[in-house]
Amino acid sequence: MEVLLQTLIAGLLLGGLYALIGLGMTLIMGVMKIINLAHGELMMVGMYVAYVLFSAFHIDPYLSIIVVAPLLFLLGIVFQKYLINPVLRVEAILPENQVILTVGIGMVLANVATIIFSSNYQSTPVSYATTAWYLTDFWKGAPLELSLSLPWSVSFVFAIFITTGLWFFLSKTDTGKSIRATAQDYDAALLMGVNVKKMRVVTFGLGSALVGSAGCLFIPIYYLYPDLGGQFTLIAFVITILGGLGSTIGAIIGGIILGVFESLTATYLGMGWAPVGRFAIFILALIFIPGGIVSLFKKRRLAR
Amino acid sequence: MKRFGIMLLIVSIFCLVAAPVMAANINLVIPLPLTGKQAKFGEIMKRSYEIAVEEINAKGGVKGQKLAISFEDSTGKPEIARSIVEKLIGTKKQPIIVGEYTSACAKAVAAVAEERKTPYLVVASADDNITQQKYKYVFRQNAVNSHYSDGVADYFKKIVKPSTIAILYESSAFGTSGAEAMRKDAKAMGIKVVVDEKYEAGSVDFKPILSKVKAAKPDVVYMVSYVMDASLLMKQIKELRIDAKQFAGGAAGFAIPEFLQNAKDAAEYVISATLWTEKLKYPGAKEYANKYKAKYGDFPSYHGASAYASLYVVADALKRAKDMQPESIRAAMKATNLMTAFGPVKFEDKEGYQNQNFNDTFVIQVQKGVFETIWPENHASKKYIFPVPTWKDRR
Repeated sequence: MEVLLQTLIAGLLLGGLYALIGLGMTLIMGVMKIINLAHGELMMVGMYVAYVLFSAFHIDPYLSIIVVAPLLFLLGIVFQKYLINPVLRVEAILPENQVILTVGIGMVLANVATIIFSSNYQSTPVSYATTAWYLTDFWKGAPLELSLSLPWSVSFVFAIFITTGLWFFLSKTDTGKSIRATAQDYDAALLMGVNVKKMRVVTFGLGSALVGSAGCLFIPIYYLYPDLGGQFTLIAFVITILGGLGSTIGAIIGGIILGVFESLTATYLGMGWAPVGRFAIFILALIFIPGGIVSLFKKRRLAR
Repeated sequence: MKRFGIMLLIVSIFCLVAAPVMAANINLVIPLPLTGKQAKFGEIMKRSYEIAVEEINAKGGVKGQKLAISFEDSTGKPEIARSIVEKLIGTKKQPIIVGEYTSACAKAVAAVAEERKTPYLVVASADDNITQQKYKYVFRQNAVNSHYSDGVADYFKKIVKPSTIAILYESSAFGTSGAEAMRKDAKAMGIKVVVDEKYEAGSVDFKPILSKVKAAKPDVVYMVSYVMDASLLMKQIKELRIDAKQFAGGAAGFAIPEFLQNAKDAAEYVISATLWTEKLKYPGAKEYANKYKAKYGDFPSYHGASAYASLYVVADALKRAKDMQPESIRAAMKATNLMTAFGPVKFEDKEGYQNQNFNDTFVIQVQKGVFETIWPENHASKKYIFPVPTWKDRR
């Protein structure tokens, strides 16, 4: 019982962070119809910025979101405006050459990071890294001992804040509504007078800022090195497919499902199986729910 | 362009003149990973070779000749290491090869050395079967991987006396062979293995398997991990308040300064296997470590110490060899019986190994944020701390 509960807690916390990583990719996927394979590398850039701020000015990684998010937003805009847009215009043999371009961007980012920071592992040893709350500290006669890590919880809460913020932005503001319109129907949005080109640029910036912030939330509990991106691009990709391409709610649910599923496989099958489980989910989602989790909701609504 | 041509001419003339003078030296080219993933270890070893060669030459060199070393970057890839050594033996006629770091590279080099009948001294590669292949020309100075945990096992037996153990290891060659060695030791001591789990290097969250470890309540937890996983493991063990009698690591990630920096207070009281520490009472160990620290600001790891000592072993063999032919050097190597900063070096054939040096392995414990040697007791720099306080009592 104790093992199961502790596993579920761990999975939920991990899932919340995964969701934030997946959100950025989903957003870009929805609006631009391309998979951004430099996603993990953008996260790596965010983490390095947080690392530099921490080691040079002792700025807490959580606070550095204030710097990292706008910076990554600008970086995303630059990529979209000067690299991806020109490629979108070119007729090429491969219809998906923007995707290939993002792979290239990712490689360049990883190699630049290797040149600047070397391939050594870095981390931000914060003072609260191992602080945790224990059930028996609050309730003396507790039948089981559960613990909740401070940095993991803080990261989780931040992830929820950012996600809620994003939801408000998308549903309540004009720009947000325009982004959603562009995602739903590009041509219709164009006809309705939405500045579609601008929306694409903003979306790419937004997606980058989101994953950059995810990087800031990850660094107190993890570590970083230049090649870390690929691993997280993969996670984001799985979440995007699982959640339904382009759906924000789907990405959040997908992230949490993935986190919980990984933790459960690690506990009951062995930790070596966690990556296998990840791909099993990926393939099963593609076969059985090609529209992702959101498609399940939609079907039910239609039936009603 | 013209000026460049003239310069080239001058340089080449200089080289021609200089060549006969240089020929009085004994030239050794050392293959090492200077770039790539293992570059960190290559760097430590390169610096250590340089310190050693300076000292050897200051003491008069080898048979009146100076030892001159240079390095070639193998980037940690076996095929490159192989081609470097092919060149050294084939065209440069180097009579003895020293160097390399990863086991994969050392294996490639060993195969070439054996084929070309040139002695090769392995410095820091741990894979057991490098010296299990009936090679006549391959010598190894560091202990084999299956002996890395000997010190820890001995400490368990005499001090901790556990009845159950949990083994967690990385799913790499190093991790699996380290875990296998501990499994054997545990069986020999009658310790029951209650959790035996491997994990993918670079995992974010170890709490699921750690919860399982917690539920199994083992007396000791033994982990074989590289750099960052080691500190994540200990941090999350602290978070979950797993109270084993002793947490132990199998060298690598648990025995380097990065572990202390990242795991901080979670690292306290953790023990680890290691091949060498700067606090050992071997002649010259302290001097070497201090010299290294003064120059580069940090104490070297056992890799550096082994590299440093290896040049003394080579110089000693060259001094005793009757000429500079590979065959006579091999005979001299085989007869080596030398005390070095890395410990006694003697190449023996036993337990199925050939030309293997069986040096002691040690146990270090983190005490007040520093590594102290605690086992075997005659080498201890501080007395071991056991029993270890529970996480609750540590504040």
